[in-house]
Amino acid sequence: MRWASRQKASPDLARALTICVLAMVAIWAVDGATHVMLAQSPFGGPRPGAEPQAALQVGGIVGWLLAKQSEFYREISSAIRAAKTDGHAVWTLLAISFVYGIFHAAGPGHGKAVISSYLVANQETARRGIVLSFASALLQSLVAVVVVAIGAWLLNTTAKTMCGAEKTIEIASYALIAAFGARLVWTNGASFIRALQAEPSASPLALARAATHDHSGHHHGHGHDHHGHAHSHVDHDHVHDEHCGHSHGPLPGELAGPGGWRRGFGTIFAVGLRPCSGAILVLVFALAQGLFWAGIAATFVMGLGTAITVAAIAVMAVSAKDLARRLSGAREGGGALFMRGVEFAAAGLVLLFGVGLLFGYLAAERVTCF
Amino acid sequence: MGKMLRRLSRLVLLTVAVALALAIGPRVAQAHPHVWITATSELLYAADGSVTGVRHAWTFDDMFSTYALQGMESKTRGVYTHEELAPLAQTNVESLKEFGYFTFAKADGKKQKFKEPVDYFLEFKDGLLTLHFTLPLKTPVKSKELALEVFDPTFFVDFKFADKEPVRLLGAPATCQISFHRPNDGSARAQTLGEQNFMNGENSNFGAMFANKIAVACP
Repeated sequence: MRWASRQKASPDLARALTICVLAMVAIWAVDGATHVMLAQSPFGGPRPGAEPQAALQVGGIVGWLLAKQSEFYREISSAIRAAKTDGHAVWTLLAISFVYGIFHAAGPGHGKAVISSYLVANQETARRGIVLSFASALLQSLVAVVVVAIGAWLLNTTAKTMCGAEKTIEIASYALIAAFGARLVWTNGASFIRALQAEPSASPLALARAATHDHSGHHHGHGHDHHGHAHSHVDHDHVHDEHCGHSHGPLPGELAGPGGWRRGFGTIFAVGLRPCSGAILVLVFALAQGLFWAGIAATFVMGLGTAITVAAIAVMAVSAKDLARRLSGAREGGGALFMRGVEFAAAGLVLLFGVGLLFGYLAAERVTCF
Repeated sequence: MGKMLRRLSRLVLLTVAVALALAIGPRVAQAHPHVWITATSELLYAADGSVTGVRHAWTFDDMFSTYALQGMESKTRGVYTHEELAPLAQTNVESLKEFGYFTFAKADGKKQKFKEPVDYFLEFKDGLLTLHFTLPLKTPVKSKELALEVFDPTFFVDFKFADKEPVRLLGAPATCQISFHRPNDGSARAQTLGEQNFMNGENSNFGAMFANKIAVACP
């Protein structure tokens, strides 16, 4: 009884506290990151002498990616010009756009980071990761086409107006990601705290300690990393089944249902809402050359290339988590706690991305209106 | 056995963390240029030998030029006068303020500040827009060593100086010597990665990799 009443009061309070702490940590981490990693804050001036590591990276893969992207991107404009007179050049344009899309998404960016984190946080499958990646890239292309079709083609507004619209959409997208992240933190926080309470010692050391306990006699030995593990410590105050499932991470069965998909589409909406500045430039340029349709085709092919890369990264994230689950799932409570911790951290990342992007600390690809 | 599992799971966690960290990456590395500028710059000197400001002429690439012209009215199709482009030039210089005009000056190691741009206008020629503007220094300065860098720290804009006469001195004392380093000639990278710079943090930010460095020595 004593525990029953505590069970009711504490998770909500603990969750609220956790979210507060996490938000603070997020802001602190992002702010710290600005000082350490970022050369420039959008509100302050450039900060020369900020980041030795970033400079070091440029020489390597990232530098190569940047160089390749630039090359392909610059070829797009000449391909569109060529397509005006030569029908075959359209195929060149599409090929370049496709490769550009692949390279573009291979560089670090917020879209795949949010999708990957979401997949990990929400116990998603690789298959769904692929679907979500393609859907968000498709939406992104669609938004770019709609913005230019309405702004430039239909209303003939200026670049400034269109860019303003782009910025508004961008803010909405970031706010959605932040809200989405907060929700994930809330639900996963509950699971994490429950897993902590199920431990013999609900201390930060629990993870390490649990790992040393050998409960091999009890282990469930399957891929499901749900609350069942909490029952292993029969000699301790434990969490009953009825507490689980209310604000718990969804069961695989639930995920496959319409609700799971709805949540998934929430993510792609939040991520895909924001159009790519490059696509907008290409579309306006194609429109001015009288080849709007070629620009639209190029935009969608670009999206296809982007989707392939994002899907590959998403599958990698899900596989890594599956591996972690398999390795830690062999044991009791500790394994569950470990996975709840990973999911909680991933949820925190989604929130962090949203907050960071919203306040301009992490500009994936700054919308620059000249 | 348990020990090994623990180690393995830690390894996996680390992998996930690294993967996610890579996915976020430093913001600066996320950008790649969408705008290309071919630049020429002139350093303006007063009669007493002090630097008063910088005059830039930045030519945008064809894609961005077309984009910027979207929705601009002109009397003759395909021809834009300075007057017709005046509102766009206004927008340009106003937006550039946020980015410090991508122009960073140091006189004898001391950072210099710029006033709002003057004498700005846009020119449209051969399908390309060129933005002309003058950045006056807040306080004209006499210096032995003047360093000027033109670059976008986030690399959204790629600055390339013109092959011919990239930088000129206007009215400078005859003894002044100019030296100019392009970002891709290797010297900028070597300097950035040099231990000395690494230690003191000078010019070690990502964008500086792409910095065009102008140095004027007036002994």
